[in-house]
Amino acid sequence: MRDAVRIVLEDFSQDEEIRALQASSKRMGGIATFLGCARDFSEGREVSEIRFDSYDRMALPEMQKLRQEAIERFALIDARIVHRLGVVKAGDSIVFIAAGAEHRAPALEACRWIIDALKERVPIWKKEITPQGEAWVTPHP
Amino acid sequence: MVTVLFFGPVADRVGVGRLDVEFHAGMCLQDVFSGLQPQYPEAFGLVSLAAVNGAHATDMSLTLTDNCEVVFMSKFSGG
Repeated sequence: MRDAVRIVLEDFSQDEEIRALQASSKRMGGIATFLGCARDFSEGREVSEIRFDSYDRMALPEMQKLRQEAIERFALIDARIVHRLGVVKAGDSIVFIAAGAEHRAPALEACRWIIDALKERVPIWKKEITPQGEAWVTPHP
Repeated sequence: MVTVLFFGPVADRVGVGRLDVEFHAGMCLQDVFSGLQPQYPEAFGLVSLAAVNGAHATDMSLTLTDNCEVVFMSKFSGG
């Protein structure tokens, strides 16, 4: 089975991630997911693709910490986080989070917490490529 | 020697992804920042986070060791 936390260059399968999560325990009563995608527009401009840069030495360990913290904080049974790097075309997937718990509420809350924490704590930066040029993305709240 | 790394928008403004800074005993994170900031004011204007040897560093008085790795980073925009 693939690692529960991964940084990948290629696209990933949401179905495979959910199946892997579901297979980890029969106590799971709810699985919540979050999928972040590359928009084809930003601040009135057309976006053709997004390019990522990351501090690899810190990014994966920080994502692994986030998963463990989420499991403890929300009493999750398991969780998975996959983030793409390299070049992502408009419309493609960027990040996938799946959280499994005995009940739906902690699974849903954990998903929200993980993506918010990831944006604050994981050293990854994205640059939007547009017909007018390139621009690093300013973080959104 | 202290290896200083830059990524994303900070790297673009510095013009390179890595600089080497001479190490001296008692050197702290602030010393490295203060030494480079005047040379790259636009890049360091974006810096809001730092890391030492792969871990977040919030204390700029943190004492560095020879051959350590320092990163000055802008706010993240992953996800």
